[in-house]
Amino acid sequence: MLYALEARHAPVVSLWVWYHVGGRNEVPGTTGMSHFLEHMLFKGTPKHPKGDLDRLLARYGAQWNAFTSEDVTCYFETVPKARFETALELESDRMRNALISVEETEAERTVIVSEREGYENDPSFLLGEELQAIAFSRHTYGQGVIGSKDEIKLMTRDGLYSHYRRFYAPNNAYVVVTGDDEPERLIEQAAASFGTLEPSHDLGEPPKAPEPEQHGERRVTVHRAGGTLPIVMLAFRAPRATDSRAAAISALAVALAGTSTGSDGASGRSSRLHRALVETGLAADVDASFQLMKDPFLFLTDATLRPGVKHADVERVLVDELSKLSTDLVAEDEFARVRRQLLASTAFNTDTITWRAYRCGQLLSTGAATSIGDWYAKLAAVTREEIREAAAGLFVERSRSVGWFVPEGDAS
Amino acid sequence: MNRVHRSVLANGLRLAVVPIADLRSTSVLLAVEAGQWFEPVGRPGIARLVAQTMLRGTARRDAAAWASELDALGAVARLDVGAHAAVFSAQCLGDDLSALLALIAEAVRTPALADAEVEFVRGQTLARLEKDERDTRAVSDRAWRQLVYPTGHPFQAPAIGDAEVVRSATPAEIRAFHKSAIASDGAVLVVAGGTTAEAAKDAVGRAFGDWPKRAKPRDANYPQATLATAKRRVELVPDKTQSDVIIGWPGLPRTDPRFTAARVTNMVYAADTFASRAGNVIRDQLGLAYYVFSAIGASRGQSPWIVRMGVNPQNVRRAIEVALDELRKITAGQIAEDDLAVAKDKLVGELDVALESPAGVAAMVLEAEMFDLGEDHFERYPRELRAVTKEQVVETARAFLPPERYALAVAGPALPEALA
Repeated sequence: MLYALEARHAPVVSLWVWYHVGGRNEVPGTTGMSHFLEHMLFKGTPKHPKGDLDRLLARYGAQWNAFTSEDVTCYFETVPKARFETALELESDRMRNALISVEETEAERTVIVSEREGYENDPSFLLGEELQAIAFSRHTYGQGVIGSKDEIKLMTRDGLYSHYRRFYAPNNAYVVVTGDDEPERLIEQAAASFGTLEPSHDLGEPPKAPEPEQHGERRVTVHRAGGTLPIVMLAFRAPRATDSRAAAISALAVALAGTSTGSDGASGRSSRLHRALVETGLAADVDASFQLMKDPFLFLTDATLRPGVKHADVERVLVDELSKLSTDLVAEDEFARVRRQLLASTAFNTDTITWRAYRCGQLLSTGAATSIGDWYAKLAAVTREEIREAAAGLFVERSRSVGWFVPEGDAS
Repeated sequence: MNRVHRSVLANGLRLAVVPIADLRSTSVLLAVEAGQWFEPVGRPGIARLVAQTMLRGTARRDAAAWASELDALGAVARLDVGAHAAVFSAQCLGDDLSALLALIAEAVRTPALADAEVEFVRGQTLARLEKDERDTRAVSDRAWRQLVYPTGHPFQAPAIGDAEVVRSATPAEIRAFHKSAIASDGAVLVVAGGTTAEAAKDAVGRAFGDWPKRAKPRDANYPQATLATAKRRVELVPDKTQSDVIIGWPGLPRTDPRFTAARVTNMVYAADTFASRAGNVIRDQLGLAYYVFSAIGASRGQSPWIVRMGVNPQNVRRAIEVALDELRKITAGQIAEDDLAVAKDKLVGELDVALESPAGVAAMVLEAEMFDLGEDHFERYPRELRAVTKEQVVETARAFLPPERYALAVAGPALPEALA
């Protein structure tokens, strides 16, 4: 699938390749395989040995990288317009021809372990990983993305290569291009690069492990010395991106925590959780998020507590605030603020060529919308009643998972 | 780069507007010379306390009302204190530029700085400092600064400051710093995105035109930071799996004519995990770290010039040795022509790619304006980057990155062996 958008304000083109493979395609014993594979795609092909195209892209000042999520693995390059062909050459070549040698697999294994160890230094990661694990009993979303350290250590070259050959193919990818040219021309160039590649004959059916309904609250407590401030996280079962409530739930996240600019940000301070927890001195920071996902995932809220504040007190306020949204309509002036933030943030992101392409790919790959304009229209159409309905459907005690991070004394 | 429309208000505020057609949003950067460089000697953290308190209500509106107005625009904004300036960075829809600038002007010019709000910011800051105590990045950064900068130097502590200063700061001190440092003199305002030069100039004039002019001293006189030997500090942070490592040196002012060569040297050495030598060897060849990068700060003083790595404790010693070995090769003149060419090409190419976002454009213009790099900077700069020679890189590395005189800070789990 090819998709192109025009963006004429700078002489650059951003190319994104979205593969339908991520943490959800893994089984216990191979968790982290999609992410490991993402690293291996930077290790060269027969035509372009390792470092060859890296250096070429560096010469062009390219912004390029990759990421893996539960649903997808994604690669992108933003390059000067004149270098678009190089980006296409890189991506089309590595779609089917990556080497993935035994030697490079071994060399990269320690890098990935190091990446995971970096995350482990962060108490929010440790708690989030545990909470995601208890929130799912069947669906592979519970495994996360990076995989366990032990399984990263056990990953084999042959396993990675077989995963690669199965999922990296034109019939399992979205290619999204945004940039300084006619969309037809951008598509034509992309089609010439990817159109002749061999499809995968082994895609099989998408993973099916429907998560059964949850019938009671689940709780997890992480005790570690690696953090000083307590954290409370609440996770509620949330619908998939294609659900008709997805836009209203996105608005719900903004009503709760604004469009975040980080803990020192000046914006989002009129949001409900900021007022109820930060302004009252209970929390140093709050957040709420809803991700557009292929399968039902989670609506997450979290608070980093001020020193000395009790978890239970913050959890109670969080639950109360969510409950209010489930029962009462947001006031007209609050709704106007939420709506404005929601729509403005769409414009902010898509005014950058790289992120316009990302947003488009995200909407297409999850099925949330058929275009950025379509998603904007869905957000613009959200009503106060829909926000209340969405909250009432989400914030139910029996489908809640609660996580506490409890700082401990020096464990050394 | 689109045309930069420059003007100076009667009060000295410098304005640079870069209209970008087809964009719905506009980025705003307001830099006031109220960063660490301008803090009272021995009071690290005052600038940030002032900046954060400025976001908590004005003479006209309390904190909640100001925040509601900002959110009603759908704008995003933050106010950060850096080495040189306190920078208000914001983005709004093009039609809201005038309203956004009015809100920023209110916070900057007439903040309430009420006692209760100072207390609120103090509490938030102390919470963050407590969190930082077990954050390996924050611990290594603080330890490194203490090794490099003498007592009283503005960069001896990070911008968040010292807990003791945060605890003891009085509302009167906060108000005094605001009065002395937050002024139009030396301030730069950049607007880039979906607006016109005329509309932006009018909006800025309405918001800041009657900000009274008040001269203030531009440069302080701080002792030079020098490293006579290699200095090392290892900080144990319990219950962590990875060590954060900083190897670094005091850098050079952005206004120093050698700064362009320093940027090229930085790129050859370690700026990019993939395109630079240190990252290539440490991550790509040896698999010792997930991230390796170096950065050189831009300020009027000797901002940190540091290499950062996240490394398993078992590999810390080796990663440091390799990082220094790669540096020794540079100071010995062992620089492949292609490595130098890639570094220069990358820095020049990045200038074009940065044009993709209004925030990227605004950031480039702000640096040029803040450090008086000249109206023709964007024409000259690519040429100047390309003109940097191998000899200049070697000379810059020898002058600023001596491999035998560095400061090393490591924070994380216990190391298996002492560092030499």
